Amino acid sequence: MKLDPGSHIPFYLQIADGIRDAVAAGVYLPGEPLPSLRALALEIHTNPNTVQKAYDELAREGLIYSRRGKGLFVAEQGDESARASAQESLQRSFLEGIIAARAAGMSSREIRKAFTAALNITPAKRTGDSPEKGNRR
Amino acid sequence: MSLLPQSNGTGPAIELDGVFKLFGNSPAVDGLSLSVEHGSTFGLIGPNGAGKSTTIKMLMGLLAPTSGSVRVLGHDAGTEATQIRQKVGYVPELHLMDRWMRVKEVVGFCRSAFSTWNDDTCREMLDRYELPDDKKVKQLSKGMLVKLSLVLAISHEPEMLILDEPMSGLDPLAREEFLDGVLQTVCDKGQTVLLSTHSLGDIQRMADTVGFLYGGRLLAHSNIDDLLASTKRVRATLTNGSPPENLPTGVVWQQVEGREWLLTVADFTPETVQKIGDLQGVENVDVIDIGLEDLFKDFVKGQRSNS
Repeated sequence: MKLDPGSHIPFYLQIADGIRDAVAAGVYLPGEPLPSLRALALEIHTNPNTVQKAYDELAREGLIYSRRGKGLFVAEQGDESARASAQESLQRSFLEGIIAARAAGMSSREIRKAFTAALNITPAKRTGDSPEKGNRR
Repeated sequence: MSLLPQSNGTGPAIELDGVFKLFGNSPAVDGLSLSVEHGSTFGLIGPNGAGKSTTIKMLMGLLAPTSGSVRVLGHDAGTEATQIRQKVGYVPELHLMDRWMRVKEVVGFCRSAFSTWNDDTCREMLDRYELPDDKKVKQLSKGMLVKLSLVLAISHEPEMLILDEPMSGLDPLAREEFLDGVLQTVCDKGQTVLLSTHSLGDIQRMADTVGFLYGGRLLAHSNIDDLLASTKRVRATLTNGSPPENLPTGVVWQQVEGREWLLTVADFTPETVQKIGDLQGVENVDVIDIGLEDLFKDFVKGQRSNS
């Protein structure tokens, strides 16, 4: 997990994002334990209070839960809810980009073209995913 | 849902109230009030000469304040410095160890000063940092000296750690090893920590709350997450190239270049944008998110241009 000290996003949210991504990617499966506070704090060289705050945030969202004396676990639908938040955050990034593009005077057509071009430079991993029509090389 | 060891202390772990320290006529610390909660890590940051070391020396009872009260773990730093030194692990900026002593002799010397000395902790840390017992202090590299200083500071199982710019001049690996040593003891024992440093990156890794010290005063003292959320930079266009007379409250710094107006605002709310946009001759107000480093620089630059 890479933490960026130059970002305006507090470390605890960066850590929460990192864990959410790991759950979405299946690094930790529903029902499986997450690293202890101590283990994660030492792994990412960060104050355990900050890690605690990240875990609190994820518990509040229902992505993880704590079992008294046993530690923290990924919730039953944790993977789905993590993917749903990834989708939300993607939507937000798109929105920001579109607003900026509109402010710079780009048309919907130009924005769509730029989006398709960006999509095609990043390789798709999932089956059933194919490059957009009209841009096939 | 706290999984960390909790301190049983009541009241703040560190409390300064209206503290002044004059050297001759000039104040090194200028009416400083500050409190640090038990079990939290407080990061103190400021340019050279801001008063960080003077403040720390007053906490340790090594300097007496000209006026005001300094309390550490419930003890008055003026009259109960002995109790404070028993309960605090202190890593000073300059390591005043006898250069001709061997590592094991320095350890033995410190051991004799504390009834709470834990040999196991000490041995474990010396091994972890690969500090050779028989080496003389003068033969140690800067990194090893700082690590030895940390071992000595935590082996008497203190309730608090006070670290005065411990990492300045260390290479990146030694820095990380030093910080990991601090983190490990904090994870295990839940000590209160005061860390003074020049690195905002270290502050974000280590601290919950941060204090910006400048000219012996605190420009900001806040939980880091709150500070990041409540301080924003605003960019706007000035139609006639000069900023309006009446600035909204909370402006810590501003700069005009041609028609571009940049300002950093503390206690930022959505209404702030509205208020700035309503000012005479101001257009296209845009909010820019900034990180802790830029935020700190803006506070200091703003203060400099005011004085």
